[in-house]
Amino acid sequence: MTAPILYNYDLDENCYRVRLVASCLGVALTLHGIDMYPGREHLGAAMRALNPAGRLPVLQDGDLLLTQTEAILMHLAEAHAPTTPLLPQDAATRARMMDWLAFCARDLGVAAQARTCAMLDAPGDAQALRASARACLRLMEDHMVKQGIRGCGFFAGPAATLADLALFPAFALSRDFNVDHDEFPALRLWARRVRRLPGFITMPGIPDYH
Amino acid sequence: MTEDAWVPLALSSMIEVGTSAGAVVQGQEIVVWRDSSGVAHTWEDRCPHRGMKMSFGFVRGDHIACLYHGWEYDQAGQCRYIPAHPQLEVPKTICVKTWAVAEAAGMIWVALGAVPPPPAEAEVTALRSLYLDAPLAAVLAALPEGFGGTLAGQVPLVTLDTDLGTLRIGVQPIDARRTALHLTVAGPATPDTLLALATRSDAFRLSLETAGAAA
Ligand code: FES
Repeated sequence: MTAPILYNYDLDENCYRVRLVASCLGVALTLHGIDMYPGREHLGAAMRALNPAGRLPVLQDGDLLLTQTEAILMHLAEAHAPTTPLLPQDAATRARMMDWLAFCARDLGVAAQARTCAMLDAPGDAQALRASARACLRLMEDHMVKQGIRGCGFFAGPAATLADLALFPAFALSRDFNVDHDEFPALRLWARRVRRLPGFITMPGIPDYH
Repeated sequence: MTEDAWVPLALSSMIEVGTSAGAVVQGQEIVVWRDSSGVAHTWEDRCPHRGMKMSFGFVRGDHIACLYHGWEYDQAGQCRYIPAHPQLEVPKTICVKTWAVAEAAGMIWVALGAVPPPPAEAEVTALRSLYLDAPLAAVLAALPEGFGGTLAGQVPLVTLDTDLGTLRIGVQPIDARRTALHLTVAGPATPDTLLALATRSDAFRLSLETAGAAA
């Protein structure tokens, strides 16, 4: 079986989500580098032919072409590592994982926007994006406070799932848009647990302490 | 008020062995970190090399290392190792400013001025730290009605008697607009009680900040 191809830009946080999950699943990817900045290659004709929305990541796995981060994460797990503990088998835990994956897709997009706006001069109201991203991190902190009381170290339960890996970059990169980690003690402890998962890798901007 | 008093910075349980975090007290940036033997430290959050925040760095055994160029400091704040010059005997003058630290009643405390007698011990169960976009006076004024209970005691440690138990609250004034509350419950508490209190703390923050935004 040939490895799935990830059209990848190292500094893009959604591409990192895919690399991180693949690494933790033990799934090899063939990386195809795309010059997003300054080349804007993701908006060129060749990439638009793959993803008309002009966005990364894009995953090509045989005949299957996927363009949404969370769908890519689910596919990598289900098709290439179906027995992984990162994909809970009981319905309730899996539903909680899906809940947080949807949060990642729908709410947490503002964090990625806040970051590209602050770092790469992408369009947007930097202050408003920062405030929205901080509000998301507070929801995550409040949830992990309660998980801690329940004796659960991760978002969907006592063990890590795809949701933790998908949520991690937004917190780990928040200093890039001037939201420090001071206010998020429960997320700090959680992030430390995520860093210790087998296969964990970093991206530029997320320090590797070891 | 913080001049010669202990100020709480964090719940003890949230600063694990081998970790660091940033905290601000009336504008003063502080790094709080716990070394490999479990001892907490509270220093100025500034690396003497180029001013990087030490709280961005990482703990290595009994040293804390700066993220920027890896300079390492021992428990006394003295620089011990400079990766770019591994053979160098580091001059004694290179050190981080340190403050007195205490650990009591489930919290880590710093004294930025003269060191008072140690803060009182108490049997507590940690609840959470709550960060509020509101000045200290507004937070204290809102607590009895917003959280539900009777407020007593003096900053930096107040108590709030609620229907779910007595909260012992460490108060950290961050700056003119922000305040942190380190919430603990006196004595033991069940998970259900703690969950109910955590939910109430979310609601308290929302109502306080909404009222502040409307004012
Ligand atoms: S700024 Fe800390 S080592 Fe250079």
